[in-house]
Amino acid sequence: MSRRRALVRYLAARLGLVPVMLWLIASLVFLLLRVAPGDPVDAVLGTRAPEAARAALRSQLGLDQPLLSQYGSFLLDLLRGDLGTSLNSQEPVSRIIGQSLPASLELGLTALLLAALLGLTVGFSGIARPEGRLDLAGRLYGIGTYALPPFWAAMVVQLIFAVWLGWLPVGGRLPPTLLPPEGTGFFLVDSLRNGLATGHWQQLGGTIRHLVLPAGTLALLLSGIFTNALRLNLRRALASDYVEAARSRGLGEARVVLRHALPNALLPVLTITGITVASLIGGALLIEVTYSWPGIAARLQEAIAQRDYPLVQGIVVVVAALVVLVTVTVDLLVALLDPRIRF
Amino acid sequence: MPRLLRLTPRRTTFLTAAATLLLTGCQAGSAPSGGGAATVPGPADSPSDALVVATSARVGSVDPVRASTFGATQLLSAVGDPLYQLEPDGDLVPALASELPRVSSDGLTVTIPLRRDVLFHDGTPFDAAAMVFSLERFLAIGTLSYLLDDRIESVRARSSHELELRLRRPTTVLPQLLSTINLTPVSPTAYREYGDRALADRFVGTGPYRLSFFSDQQQRLEPFERYWGDRPRNGGIVLVSLGNSTALYGAMRSGEVDVLLSTGLHEDHQQALVQRADRGELREGQGPALEIGYLTLHTNQPPFNDPGLRQALAHSLDRERITDRVSQGLRAPLRDLVPPAVSSGARGIWPAYDPGRARSLFRQAGYCDGKVLELPLTFRSNIPSDRLMVLTWQAQLARDLGDCIVLQPNGMESTTVYRQLGEGAFPAVMLDWRGAVRDPEAYLFPLLSCSKAEGGRCLKGESALSGSFWTAPGLQEDLLRSEGLAGAQRLQLLDGIERRTAAAAPYLPLWLVTPRAWARRQLAAPRFDGNGRLLLQELHRLP
Repeated sequence: MSRRRALVRYLAARLGLVPVMLWLIASLVFLLLRVAPGDPVDAVLGTRAPEAARAALRSQLGLDQPLLSQYGSFLLDLLRGDLGTSLNSQEPVSRIIGQSLPASLELGLTALLLAALLGLTVGFSGIARPEGRLDLAGRLYGIGTYALPPFWAAMVVQLIFAVWLGWLPVGGRLPPTLLPPEGTGFFLVDSLRNGLATGHWQQLGGTIRHLVLPAGTLALLLSGIFTNALRLNLRRALASDYVEAARSRGLGEARVVLRHALPNALLPVLTITGITVASLIGGALLIEVTYSWPGIAARLQEAIAQRDYPLVQGIVVVVAALVVLVTVTVDLLVALLDPRIRF
Repeated sequence: MPRLLRLTPRRTTFLTAAATLLLTGCQAGSAPSGGGAATVPGPADSPSDALVVATSARVGSVDPVRASTFGATQLLSAVGDPLYQLEPDGDLVPALASELPRVSSDGLTVTIPLRRDVLFHDGTPFDAAAMVFSLERFLAIGTLSYLLDDRIESVRARSSHELELRLRRPTTVLPQLLSTINLTPVSPTAYREYGDRALADRFVGTGPYRLSFFSDQQQRLEPFERYWGDRPRNGGIVLVSLGNSTALYGAMRSGEVDVLLSTGLHEDHQQALVQRADRGELREGQGPALEIGYLTLHTNQPPFNDPGLRQALAHSLDRERITDRVSQGLRAPLRDLVPPAVSSGARGIWPAYDPGRARSLFRQAGYCDGKVLELPLTFRSNIPSDRLMVLTWQAQLARDLGDCIVLQPNGMESTTVYRQLGEGAFPAVMLDWRGAVRDPEAYLFPLLSCSKAEGGRCLKGESALSGSFWTAPGLQEDLLRSEGLAGAQRLQLLDGIERRTAAAAPYLPLWLVTPRAWARRQLAAPRFDGNGRLLLQELHRLP
């Protein structure tokens, strides 16, 4: 079988599993929410509402239906692409996700970019003298930033740069006096577009200032992963036969490292990037909460606390779908870039 | 040096431009050092005299039929008007109503004359038909409609500016209920398609401000030019929600916000702000203390089915020390269920701290002499003051009565606590309560009302839902009788009910929570209305 056909088959198999995985995840979330203690009616009415009012709201929200019937409706709606309506705000879940997902993606992607730049630079810097001071510092940096508790780190950074020094804002995506730019929901893109159109750059400046602390903190926490991955893989690559062969051909050390060892060392880093992106989509909760970043993770936490079943289900399904998509894409990229991979 | 890193003239130009853009943006968005909060000129900003007010409360929906959180009602109170307004001292004054309600001799028909000079934000006139539309909509789909629907039978417009309510039974607290901001009228024209469903992100009412932008984290209010009453004393309000106490405190400290509300602020941050206000760096305002913190004891099962043991626990609670340690004096100790601002002042009905008396009562119940009562005390783990209270009381009991009782703190997420409360899952649990209206009834009925009882045990009703399961012969009858009374006679009856409750001690009141707000020094001190909401329209810069 040709490599191309094998790749197509591999891709089809992976994508074919996506609906099954999503169904399993959706069913699990549906079930867990109903098994967990707590009642959405309490979240809406408070605990002291009379039983009649509670029953009326339960009926209005469809929570008085048998569990199987609720499950059936949920799956049917999901198949139609209808994620339902939030129990709390009565807004369509898809609209809520549409508002908060771009915020999370903007934060996550900016952080990832910064983390990769920072982490790879630190990881690469010690390679000239293995076990030297720079290498040791890089190792300590990798372990230290990876081990930092996110909530603590975010609070400390916020306290120093926003509260004490007052250099940067404490939270949110824009200064309160500015209206959010209309468009994609990615404020960097939208405000840049507005700036180019109007010549006013306040929105872009505000967006960048508000992004610095959350993205910087997240980047700091993630950069250690890149540092460690690059250090280990680069050292392994530099000790391999093909690098030795390149040196024996008389190539300069810089060329050996940059042209021969580095590309091979970066392949595992690509896989790690994929996994990190996947975890970032829904996993930057502590950063979002600390910096009042209106992202999907903070929204999910709120929805869980309020037992807002449709919103939790909708967010989990969308995030799961994105995670699967990113993972498959990264697998595909690695397979395309690395001829050693067999399908 | 690798070619990629070399600085060519074109690259230098690009980098310079990028750095200039970044710095320009940063400077444009930064707060002026001595002036107002982050006000910046530009096409998309709010007026320069708009004030930024921060709180931790996110607003899911601005529709009066859905608004039940503090943040939502605070917002509604600025964009809507109630029929009656509660003054800070608790006096009721007409707002959209032109005079106090007229009640028929049988107490079942209430006539409310309405103002004739009121316009909705969409320019349509406010009249009795609009009020009927809004009230019927609230009764049909309002999440808090239970406050009214067992009292109001029907609503009709008696004339163009006269509203008539037909009641199911005489209701003394009706005027107070009509001051609820959830009953604020909405424009029938704007809400025509929303008669049977909520409109979460827009509002067309009659209040001093128009809602010009809404998201759950930020709302913008612009003064309504054709408002019937006094115009707001500022150029607009931007309400922002910040996710945690440190962010709120930091925003105030760095000058990012003009006014900060105490909701969601940790005690130590509040204390720091109080100290800054004492030094003259900020201006502080306080509202009426309408929220109480209390303990519920499950009286339907051992050990607290023993009234003597409940009394022992009541005497063992050193409220002064606990409130001092937890809130550094910001919360006032409370020995009544009905807050002093709602009744005739602090009465101290519940037993005072008396470790000697507590020890004697524990002994009578069979504890102390070699037998220690191990008491699981449940608290809401997501509320920091609850945790601090439980830990402080644990230490205080270990010091005073360590040979009689040991507290076993049991933290649990609040949603789980609320769900299991009515199932009798907790021997003792810490909770808080704020009455829907400023009346003793709003504190006694939700804790004591019982629709089905067996002796001293409540099987069904508010008392069971509250987790105490306590009632007493004749108590429910007295509660119902109070609804038909008025004036001193009614208050006397309610006071008697509260005293009977104190003697049985199914609940132990602990503290009072006072709402506070801090404004920057350049602003006047914030003021609250009688329902504990900040008067946004009165915020203004000092000359």
